Amino acid sequence: MNNRSLLVVDDSATFRQLLRMSLTRLDGMKESTITEATDGEDALNKVRAGNFDLVLTDIRMPNMDGLEFVRRVRGELNKQDLPIIIISTKGADDDIELGMKIGASGYLSKPISMIRLRELVSGFLSQ
Amino acid sequence: MAEKPEEILKLFSKSEELLEMFRKGRAFTEELMYENERLRYRIVQLEKEKMDLSGTLMREVERLRLENSQMAQKLDFLDGRYQEIEAENKDFAQRYVEVEEQNESLANLYVASYRLHSTLDPLEVVECIKEILVNMVGTEEFGLYVVDEESSELVLAGCEGEIAQRLERGRVAFGDGLEGMVAQSGEPFFTDDAGEGGEVCACIPLKIKERVVGVIAMYKLLPHKMGLSALDHKLLELLAGHAATALVSSKLYAVADRKLKTIEGFMSLLRVR
Repeated sequence: MNNRSLLVVDDSATFRQLLRMSLTRLDGMKESTITEATDGEDALNKVRAGNFDLVLTDIRMPNMDGLEFVRRVRGELNKQDLPIIIISTKGADDDIELGMKIGASGYLSKPISMIRLRELVSGFLSQ
Repeated sequence: MAEKPEEILKLFSKSEELLEMFRKGRAFTEELMYENERLRYRIVQLEKEKMDLSGTLMREVERLRLENSQMAQKLDFLDGRYQEIEAENKDFAQRYVEVEEQNESLANLYVASYRLHSTLDPLEVVECIKEILVNMVGTEEFGLYVVDEESSELVLAGCEGEIAQRLERGRVAFGDGLEGMVAQSGEPFFTDDAGEGGEVCACIPLKIKERVVGVIAMYKLLPHKMGLSALDHKLLELLAGHAATALVSSKLYAVADRKLKTIEGFMSLLRVR
């Protein structure tokens, strides 16, 4: 899992910092690069310009929400293999189903369980 | 009686044959006796061998029986050890989960306190408190109130959801409602339910030592959150202290900064004159 490149998309600086801290604690992730984006538009530009191994995104964000971001990554950028995990306060079954239908690879509800986050991220990065 | 010489000769010849037959019979009998002797000896030998073998077999059976019983004891011991290790393994797995939860808790607490003290802008502090309540605690609707020293009222400084917005003038007098009572008593209030009907599920005073500088009222948790966990309580405890300090220090800094700018403006005016 060394030298992986991850993108964290959330308008909350507090949550981005929490995710950064949790992700760098994962085994073999110390050398990895974590890039931050504050909304879907910013994230889309970063995905277009860079080569990421995994993206973690919130849904409720200004300018472009997380669902639109996922839709455009899969459609406009045609990146079908890029794992995208949605992390959102919307945790109802319908929300999860919608996120997965749009093209998300995984879904976590806030507040997140670090054990679950670790399992999901490790799973996608070891593929 | 034979009277003729031919008959006598024939008789002799027969007796000779008979003698020869007896001789052969004797030799055969001697051979049989010898064979009998040899076989008897062999039987004795075999009997002895059988006795020896039987003894060896008995000893071997005894040894195997002993070995078997030792193996059974070892198996019992290993089985017990396996059960112990299995229990230990379960215990370690449980402890791993607990340690992970502790790490999660520490990471949350660290990030929350780091973020709260990373700015001197009161609006950013309020925003940070809101982010902690939404993202880390999982609150859907809440109100953040700060104490207005002059009017002894709680003033709404930030909120999420509709409940807090329904407040008239965004103010609550000390002692009024749960928010006012918590501000007056300085004691936190928690209910176990998730606040599905919109009722208050937690109300915590923001205190610096014994001085209440604000109140956080949580009206509703996120629909998928069933209640407040131990980690949530820790986070709220931390918020009670750190958010209060961050709010007051940022407010004081803003006032001091404003005063400094006024003085600087005044000084520059004096210099011009």
